[in-house]
Amino acid sequence: MLRARTLKLASVILLGAIVLSLLAACGPAPTPTPAATATPVVITKEVQVVVTATPVPKPTAVPKPKGKITVWMWKATQDSIVNPGVVKDFNAEYPDIQVEWVTYNPQDVYQKLPLALQAGTGAPDVAYVEDSHVTKYVYLGGLMDLTDKVKPYLDKMNAYKWSTVMKDGKYYGMPMDSGPVVTYYRRDVFKKAGLADDPDGVSKLVATWDDYLKTCKTIKDKTGYNCFSSNKANNYGRLYEMMLWQQGLGYTNAKGELTVDSAENIATLEKLGEFWKANLVSDELEWTDNWYAELASLDKPVASLVEAAWMGVFLKTWIAPGTAGKWGVAQMPAMKAGQVRTANDGGSGFVIPEQSKNKDAAWAFVEFVCTRNQSVNKFFAAGDIFPSLESAYNDPLYIEPDSFFGGQMTRMAYVNAVKQIPKAYVYGQYYQEINGYVGTAIQKFATGKMSAADALKEAGAAIRKQTGLK
Amino acid sequence: MTRLATTLKSPSQAKRGAPRQGLWHEIVKSRWAYVFISPFYILFAIFFLYPVLLSVYLSFNEWNGLGPMKFVGLANFERLLDDQVFWQAMQNGVILFFMYVPIMTSLALVLAVILNSKRVHGFQFFRTLIFMPYITNKVAAGFTFRLLLTTNNGIVNLLLGVFGIPPVPWLQDIWWARVSLSLLIVWAWLGYNMVIMLAGLQTIPGELTEAAQLDGANPAQAFWHITIPLMRPVILFSVVLSTMGSFDLFAEIQSLTGGGPMRATITPIVYIFGQAFTNFRLGAASAMSYVYFAFIFILTLLQVRYFGREES
Repeated sequence: MLRARTLKLASVILLGAIVLSLLAACGPAPTPTPAATATPVVITKEVQVVVTATPVPKPTAVPKPKGKITVWMWKATQDSIVNPGVVKDFNAEYPDIQVEWVTYNPQDVYQKLPLALQAGTGAPDVAYVEDSHVTKYVYLGGLMDLTDKVKPYLDKMNAYKWSTVMKDGKYYGMPMDSGPVVTYYRRDVFKKAGLADDPDGVSKLVATWDDYLKTCKTIKDKTGYNCFSSNKANNYGRLYEMMLWQQGLGYTNAKGELTVDSAENIATLEKLGEFWKANLVSDELEWTDNWYAELASLDKPVASLVEAAWMGVFLKTWIAPGTAGKWGVAQMPAMKAGQVRTANDGGSGFVIPEQSKNKDAAWAFVEFVCTRNQSVNKFFAAGDIFPSLESAYNDPLYIEPDSFFGGQMTRMAYVNAVKQIPKAYVYGQYYQEINGYVGTAIQKFATGKMSAADALKEAGAAIRKQTGLK
Repeated sequence: MTRLATTLKSPSQAKRGAPRQGLWHEIVKSRWAYVFISPFYILFAIFFLYPVLLSVYLSFNEWNGLGPMKFVGLANFERLLDDQVFWQAMQNGVILFFMYVPIMTSLALVLAVILNSKRVHGFQFFRTLIFMPYITNKVAAGFTFRLLLTTNNGIVNLLLGVFGIPPVPWLQDIWWARVSLSLLIVWAWLGYNMVIMLAGLQTIPGELTEAAQLDGANPAQAFWHITIPLMRPVILFSVVLSTMGSFDLFAEIQSLTGGGPMRATITPIVYIFGQAFTNFRLGAASAMSYVYFAFIFILTLLQVRYFGREES
């Protein structure tokens, strides 16, 4: 009898424990709507613990922060920081902070970070976020106000970087890297077409988008190769956004009014359309196998690619390592002669969630990685992740020739570009949503279903209804 | 629950007490049974009932999931009426339904009948083969189809090229993208529907067909006049599931078409997910969920009403 009762009691306790643990594991339900269970991306999660070096005692007035911090970042950037020893340097100065990396690809960060901010739990101490996404989280809330901490660095970073992390005059993020846009081109293709193939010569050939169009025609006539890739039916507007950015335009104006269907934006899309109409571009979509194949091809390549500085490392390491020596870096075409010859594409920075239990250590890490010349030039040298910190550009590193680019001093080309990047309004609180509508508009225009004006006006009307922007 | 409780109590206990007291008494007496079935109900309440009820409330509010909720009355529903993408998504669901459900359902039925006949040797092998895609990860399948259906140098177009057919823009055209999606869905869900049909066929007594054949009916006649009428409820079940399925597609779309081109393959679920988790409009997403639910509910009722009635 006693035994039976004990058993019963034990089973109740066990059951209770199971139920409790299930409840605890679930935490506060992050979302009230039925969530779809499938994620569109393959999740790769690996946790890498960087073990602290032996502590070096250093007498200081203020006690240094200590403890463990978790950092969410994707693989390429993480490698560029860890491999050249930035974390080792950091631990030499902050021996009591352990940095624990969680490797998420960008899509994972963008699914998990907002849920963690909304749930109030589960966020890392430091998250690495692209400029295109960060404003949305700034407006969502749950990020630490870094205004006082970033103040000393406001004039030390590329000026355009700050607008994406600002809300009501306060700063919620720290810029790490920028995306100065250049024209990557194939020296062998330009040579075959009988054109200049040195960076200065090519920069002149592509001085404006009209000149670029002419050059593309010459290349097509002489070699039969496409000038660059620009997919029609699934275009998502990356190149179009660079063209807007270089003119200081975007999806809103300085007052925050929607400009998706402004005359300037329509004219910009029509300019891009000239390349489709003249049949000078390939239809391969960015980041697909055929697109890589074109960039890597020796017998049927595309001649050029207008993209940001971070593209260099992808070309070198995994997209087209077999084309070493054949690439060059020229300036981006301007909209009109004499106008800005660069734009920004991508770029990222760090945020610290309000729920972090170790904000001092988190900030120490962010500050160390982003604001030290030594740190930023290490990750730049390792991964072509172009630093936003302007004081770093006076380093011998920037005049080193790059053999992949035919011995050109490409880093200098990026520096010259980054200084010209105008303030623009492409990224913002509603960027992704607007980009979705504009992408659809570009697709309708590119496939000949609508005029640029009609397609962008349709998009503009829908965005106004959704976002309430004027 | 009550049935379980009744079977667990002893006959002497059943007689005691007034009805009301008796119920409580029965619950107390059967407490262990309740304890043991409780995990399901607790989890159901937390993960289904609570979100379902909360989203009713949310649909009248604006909320980004973090700040305060703002009561907006019917504004979310008003905006929804005007939301082109939502209605395009609903329309896409209808189009997809007509593109693949008739083909998939009839194919599933025919395959089931073939595999159910005793003449096919190794039917277990074929059954497994056809069912296998269903248990394949949909994301992996989507990516694989995307590689196969690449316009330039995709394997499918290369094979078609052997027969002199020019490259098909599988994922670069509104209608071809829908065809591609339908191909993926039929591939992935045919086996599942076939197994449902097989289960149904096994409930039809063989004597009926044998009797018909003795009376001179050929196999086709037996199929049309015996199998189909008797399978009607099973076919209905399969079609109702597929109806909900066509509006519910998510992983297949994210991995194959991304909803494009020109939002031709976006489904309500993909759009609602985006509104809730990309744009942080939980109120609007809840309102959409309920409109979507009402639509599916009515559609299902109509199907049951018109295709499920017994022929007298």
